[in-house]
Amino acid sequence: MSEAYPGLVLLLVLQVCAWVLLLWRFWGVLGYPLDCKDEQGNVISCISISLEKLLDRVIQHAELIYHVSEESCTLFEEMFVPVSMRTQQNRASNTCITKAFPIPGSKSEIQKISDKWLLHSVLMLVQSWIEPLVYLQKTLDRYDDAADTILNKTKWVTNKLSSLEQGIVELIRKMLDEGLLAVEHQQTLTRFNVQPEVVESILRDYAVLTCFKKDAHKMEVFLKLLKCRHTDKMSCYIS
Amino acid sequence: PPKRPYFVDCRSPEQETFSCWWSAGDYQNLTGPGALSVFFQKNRDVWRECPDYSTAGENHCYFNSTYTSIWIPYCVQLRSQIQDIVYHQMCFTVDEIVVPDPPVGLNWTLLNISQTGQHFDILIQWEPPPSADVKKGWISLVYEPQYRAINMSDWKPLEVERARYQSVYGLKTGMEYEIRVRCKQTASEKFSEFSDHLYVYIPKVPTKETLFPFTMILIFGAVGVIIVLMLIIFSQQQRLMVYFLPPVPVPKIMGIDPELLKKGKLDELNSILSGHHTFKPELYNDDLWVEFIELDIDDQDGRSNHSDTHKLLGSENLNGNCLNIKDDDSGRASCYEPELPDSDTLDRSQAEAREEKASLLDSEGKAAHSSTADPSPPGRSHPGATAEGASRSHPQIQSQLSSQSWVNLDFYAQVSNITPAGGVLLSPGQQSKIEKTAEAHSSPKTQKCQLAMTTDSAYTSEMDAKNISATPSLNGNEPKVTVSPYTVSEAPASSVPPVSDYTTVQAVDSQQSLLLNPSTLPTKGTPMPAGYLTPEQLNSIMP
Repeated sequence: MSEAYPGLVLLLVLQVCAWVLLLWRFWGVLGYPLDCKDEQGNVISCISISLEKLLDRVIQHAELIYHVSEESCTLFEEMFVPVSMRTQQNRASNTCITKAFPIPGSKSEIQKISDKWLLHSVLMLVQSWIEPLVYLQKTLDRYDDAADTILNKTKWVTNKLSSLEQGIVELIRKMLDEGLLAVEHQQTLTRFNVQPEVVESILRDYAVLTCFKKDAHKMEVFLKLLKCRHTDKMSCYIS
Repeated sequence: PPKRPYFVDCRSPEQETFSCWWSAGDYQNLTGPGALSVFFQKNRDVWRECPDYSTAGENHCYFNSTYTSIWIPYCVQLRSQIQDIVYHQMCFTVDEIVVPDPPVGLNWTLLNISQTGQHFDILIQWEPPPSADVKKGWISLVYEPQYRAINMSDWKPLEVERARYQSVYGLKTGMEYEIRVRCKQTASEKFSEFSDHLYVYIPKVPTKETLFPFTMILIFGAVGVIIVLMLIIFSQQQRLMVYFLPPVPVPKIMGIDPELLKKGKLDELNSILSGHHTFKPELYNDDLWVEFIELDIDDQDGRSNHSDTHKLLGSENLNGNCLNIKDDDSGRASCYEPELPDSDTLDRSQAEAREEKASLLDSEGKAAHSSTADPSPPGRSHPGATAEGASRSHPQIQSQLSSQSWVNLDFYAQVSNITPAGGVLLSPGQQSKIEKTAEAHSSPKTQKCQLAMTTDSAYTSEMDAKNISATPSLNGNEPKVTVSPYTVSEAPASSVPPVSDYTTVQAVDSQQSLLLNPSTLPTKGTPMPAGYLTPEQLNSIMP
């Protein structure tokens, strides 16, 4: 028996490792409570964040993302887009095809949208942009070093987008009392309607940046509206 | 070609409505209302005509909130009235053309004034444009305040911040300032128009300002005066010390630096002190041995030294004796001619100069010279003597010594007297012997204590003793003075008693001559030093 001890121990360790690896994937999904620590460092039950604070943090994220995306777009336009093609007409021509469900554009209409709808819209927007941004990073690598700034910004935005997604999920869970799992990341690049005569990658990338900027703005506005409703419901509905 | 009508710009002030305006260009006939039409397309839908031509003014097309959708592409076209010519097309999204209205409600409050009263800080505040719905978060604005002094032309911008207030630091009192604010959407580049100007002015406070430099002047002046005083004191320190604390006089010799004495520079000191007549440089001479041998002709006192020196050496006496006893056949005194090197002729001139002095030589030696009675002053002797005397320096004397025969030289000389000056008077030994023999012949009556004088030689030869003893026979009454190494009794003269070195003195006769005791064998008894008498023996001997 004594000779078999090392072997048994090794087997046990391997089993534990296998289970850990298996369950790691679903660690967060299962909703295992996190270890929280108070000021003294003692482990206590987690105090969930308040709705106001969560909303504020989410709005901060959205604002930052919008700000950085706007900078990236401006930089890209200055560096790579010829002057002749910088007209508003061309900007608008690279239209961004939205998702299947339409999002109303006017303020009055948006104000009539319910909270649930707003939150879900934001979540959909966030999730729909993660993959295109990853794709954009790959394409930006093919540019020379001048695009390093834009590449860094894009990377940063991608990270922030992931955290924003987590925040929205949490917000949905709190506000709407709904539980959501990690949704699939379905995205098709065909939503970017590039003019058929211009197949250059530059314009395609420019279209990606422009459209993302618009959608980031949307997220920010929606979340702010949501916050207004949360703080002062009466005044927010009056346009 | 003439310029065609075109859209100047489209603008949305609050992201809820927007308007576009155009220009007719060079086509003057199209400037009137209704000459041109505007069509728009929303989201690539159908083209519709502008809903409102009048609200925004002439050549403006106004779209109210029902027509305005954000993030949706719009296209507007400028067409002719007939609607068949498209002069210009423009596409955009409303969120891109947002240019807000300027802020309103600008005011300022005083934060503080500096201690000098020269500067002050203020806090300026404003309100967002009323059209912009910032409260609901529909639009986010950032602000940029600017300020300048009235007489300046450049506006100084402050930070672009989202806050509706900002502080302005470092404004000067007594100067009027102008402040204005503008805003823009967060992600946009287009700023709004500037707000109304705000005027800020704080008068100067005179009292503080005038007092402050005055006190500073006082302080700096006092410090400067103190520094100058310190400099004066330190530069004139020595003089002030002498003035306030006069030095105590210390004893000192006039004209002599005490430092010389300390350092032991005797030569300089000698030169200084030789000016004083009372000073004798010899005192500071290191060579003390030379003191008594060195002769100074100029010095009156040194004459005895002069005579003593060659008496000590015996060179002169030899010469004198030679000359004086040339008739003597004793043969005892070996006479020789001293070999004087050229000094003879040299010294002759000196000798003539000092002949007077030479004649005064040696008062004690006169007797010896006069007895032999050579009245004529020998021409040679004196010069020779003077020559001897002249050469009194060490080397000359030594040269004479070397020229003489050492065999006949007497190594010892009898000290006859001591001069008051401290010099030693010597009498020559052989002279005394010769003297005795001469006296024995010529003047038997002369009494001398020959024995006392003949102390130079410890030995007397037999012949001398016989000669001496022979004298009593001549003198008769004279007591016998037997000086013999032999213990000789008068009767047995043939027997030869053993010789003894010492003889005891038995008695001293009336003539004051010593009677030696012959019987005593000094060899057996205590040896007596030659020439010395112990006081007890003398007492026993003396009657």
